Amino acid sequence: MSAPLRNDAVFWLASCCALVVLLLFAFAVGKFPIAPGDLLRALFSRLSGTISGLPEAVDTVVWNIRLPRIMAGLVVGAVLAAAGAAYQGMFRNPLVSPDILGVSAGAGLGATLGIYLGLSLVFVQIAAFIGGLAAVACVYYVASLVQRHDPVLVLVLAGVALGTLLGAGISLIKILSDPYTQLPTITFWLLGGLNAVTPDDLAVTAPLMLAGLVPMFLLRWRVNLLGLADDEAATLGIAVDRLRLILVTAATLSTAAAVSLAGIVGWVGLVIPHVARLLVGPDFRRLLPASLLLGAGFLVTTDTLARTVAAIELPLGILTAVVGAPFFLWLLARSGRLS
Amino acid sequence: MSAAIEASGLAFGYRRRPVGTDFSLVIEAGEVLCLLGPNGSGKTTLFKTLLGLLPPQGGTVRILGRALANWTRTAFARHVGYVPQAHAGLFPFRVEDVVLMGRTARIGRFDVPSRHDHQVAAECLAMLGIAHLLKRDYTEISGGERQLALIARALAQEPKLLVMDEPTASLDFGNQIRVLEQIDALRDQGMAVLMSTHQPEHARRVADRIALLDGGRLLAVGLPQDMAAAPRLAALYGVTASAVRACLTGVAARPGARTSSSAPAGPERIERSHAP
Amino acid sequence: MKRRAVLRALSGAPFLRGALPFLTAFSAGASVEASAASTIAAAFGHLPAPESIRRVFAGGPPASTLIAVLAPEKLMGWPWNVSAEARAWLPPAVRDLPQVGRLAGRGSTMSSEILLQLRPDLILDVGTVDATYISSMRRVTEQTGLPCVLMHGGLADYPAQLREAGRMLGVAARGEQLAVWAETTLALAARVRAAVPPGSRPRIYYARGAAGLETGLDGSINMETIECAGGRNVAAETGQRGGIVKVSLEQVFAWNPAVILTQDAEFARRVLVDPLWRPLEAVRTRRVYLAPTRPFGWLDVPPSVNRLIGVRWLLARLYPEHPLVAAAPDLHTSATAFHRLFYGVEPGADALDALLEGPT
Repeated sequence: MSAPLRNDAVFWLASCCALVVLLLFAFAVGKFPIAPGDLLRALFSRLSGTISGLPEAVDTVVWNIRLPRIMAGLVVGAVLAAAGAAYQGMFRNPLVSPDILGVSAGAGLGATLGIYLGLSLVFVQIAAFIGGLAAVACVYYVASLVQRHDPVLVLVLAGVALGTLLGAGISLIKILSDPYTQLPTITFWLLGGLNAVTPDDLAVTAPLMLAGLVPMFLLRWRVNLLGLADDEAATLGIAVDRLRLILVTAATLSTAAAVSLAGIVGWVGLVIPHVARLLVGPDFRRLLPASLLLGAGFLVTTDTLARTVAAIELPLGILTAVVGAPFFLWLLARSGRLS
Repeated sequence: MSAAIEASGLAFGYRRRPVGTDFSLVIEAGEVLCLLGPNGSGKTTLFKTLLGLLPPQGGTVRILGRALANWTRTAFARHVGYVPQAHAGLFPFRVEDVVLMGRTARIGRFDVPSRHDHQVAAECLAMLGIAHLLKRDYTEISGGERQLALIARALAQEPKLLVMDEPTASLDFGNQIRVLEQIDALRDQGMAVLMSTHQPEHARRVADRIALLDGGRLLAVGLPQDMAAAPRLAALYGVTASAVRACLTGVAARPGARTSSSAPAGPERIERSHAP
Repeated sequence: MKRRAVLRALSGAPFLRGALPFLTAFSAGASVEASAASTIAAAFGHLPAPESIRRVFAGGPPASTLIAVLAPEKLMGWPWNVSAEARAWLPPAVRDLPQVGRLAGRGSTMSSEILLQLRPDLILDVGTVDATYISSMRRVTEQTGLPCVLMHGGLADYPAQLREAGRMLGVAARGEQLAVWAETTLALAARVRAAVPPGSRPRIYYARGAAGLETGLDGSINMETIECAGGRNVAAETGQRGGIVKVSLEQVFAWNPAVILTQDAEFARRVLVDPLWRPLEAVRTRRVYLAPTRPFGWLDVPPSVNRLIGVRWLLARLYPEHPLVAAAPDLHTSATAFHRLFYGVEPGADALDALLEGPT
């Protein structure tokens, strides 16, 4: 049967409430023990502008450590899911993720190179961001040189090829890197994580991530038409190549910023749009907000688990797969349909 | 009032593979023109060129009085509707959403379909007799219903010219008749229709004029009774005229075929043997 | 070889120390004992007589350090990137040696052919040893016919390592000399540990990486120096054993260490001014210590005999007023003696001062 929740205002309200509850819960747990009373006092005092009288450590943990981390989880999750939804529609394939054009591989290579060269953290992030953008730009340029029937297929093939090449570059640098200092750092970066997010990081990357969402929102109706064959879409009145370029640019901007902040976090861009589609259908007017909500909630949940469940901090990329895959399989079995 | 389509000396084809030359045709408003031609005659390429999807390689094309090059994509979509052959959808959009896609050219770049757009979509579906499919998934309905939905989508564009690529191809007999009647009705409302078909009898039924295309060249244009006459069709498709006649009128052309006055025919025997 | 250990450690596997099967394959002519207390884990191939060993190939960074201090003229190359600044602190014989590949099983960047071309008399590797690694070294011997010796052992085994390796390389007297220095320092550390009960030892967070959010768990080889010098690793409080892990700043806050150690100069500079780290006790009391790294990390990197001076340094930082530490020769003297004895270089007073200065 078709997705049951398409027009359901109750669904949207419930999702938003669930997200808020999740956020509060994420705020309340962590390695640093804070009594619920203290947490409330810290929240009130900041909101009302008074002094909380709590030890400086509590304030720092709540506002400078947990808050940026949770916000980062929200935005990164939302952005990756939205980009995935846009790509799946654009490439007419429910198995596509935002990494398909090589943005994660490019960002990974940029960061790995930065760590290998001993650059400071800020430059590692910048290198990751630029690497991600450059990789997709290369893919787009190469694809534009090929005049073939199906521009979408050419893009995907070029993306896969370049992604593999960049991955080989990453592996090469790993071999050459210092095994005591650089290699662990590179490995942790590639596995993804939000443990090092500072308010400054967020202040710089959040606007970039959100900026990419703006075109996606404005063009949310026209994205639907990209699921048709190029010729068909053109006869319905849209400039297909230009629309695709705008969307890819927007999605890449957001994804590159997200990867530079959180490392390579897979699975969110692939599976969350799926789940959203199962719930609200493929119409991007509804799929976009659904993906944003689900992606944000999913990543905040996973990150909260990553930082509380074990004695040590678990890599985010691994956890998203471990948490996401069984849930997705269960959902699949229930609904009996892929898209 | 300018013609819907005015092609003059048109050469069409792909960059390294020219397909047709010296194609000249005029289609007026309120006229249905059917294109007949064997496979590989260049119909698809011609349609793509007329729709502005392929650049012409020579000659001129004017759509609704304006040269092809002077049309913007969006304006073109507001005046010309294209109905491709029905395809299986990938994502389960609702039929309503599919038809709404036809309204895109009339929706602002950053807007979403309005209540009025939804109304128009519903009306288009009703016109084709498939209003009950409004909320159904496009991927779940039959091939024929999909074709009707695509026709509704083109109508939602509120065009003055309709270009249809084999619109009856996957339809059952009843739906075929409905579509042809719809084309009649549209023509009566002043729509210009250019359609291709592999069914000469459909062309005879609905066309004001028939054009014969082969090898990228326009062989002839004229009234249905002339163009869809057996000898012309036989020459076009490379079969015998008697075979054409037999196909069109339904009389068996096999040597030694029985007629109704002979001994119990095969079908009856089969029928009896099917009795429980 | 270290890389393999690091990779294993990263997956959280417990660090195996000393609980290993000894696999040895001697042929006639080998002159190295293989007792249970030996630091030699395995030896393959026909071991040449000590006097006839002229060229030794180091399989990894810890081995290269060991050979460089014992018999620098016999070292063939550095299996890792030693910076120009570090080389200035090394004996002339090894200062200009080229960088060569590493032998690390599948992670080797050294091909067997090149190894044969170089014609070392012996291949020596030191570090964590497991069955996988032993079998891959056996394979090197089978492929090239060159003798391989694997040695293992942590900080406490360095005197034995220095002696055995010294004997093996034909520099027994030097090995003895260095071993005695090592024993003196380790004995001092042991006495301090005996005098200070575990509960009173300072809780230390060892910050690795430029972000300072990586550290070593209990049992990690990277934390040995700290534990030897009478410090308590805060990460051990998680109860988990393993190698290097990531932590969040919140976790560091929860630990609230008394001392923060690092070998990363940028981090040391930043942590004292970053408002995010300010509420920590270690930062407020300015007990943030930047360990020197010339020629090699004094705490870590590589985890080899270079850490002996790190023990002495850390004792001076953690227990400056303790009678045992105060009675011993001061840090400046010890460091000078160490560099002179182990590396054969005479560090100028200014250079040493600069090295020992904190992150101000």
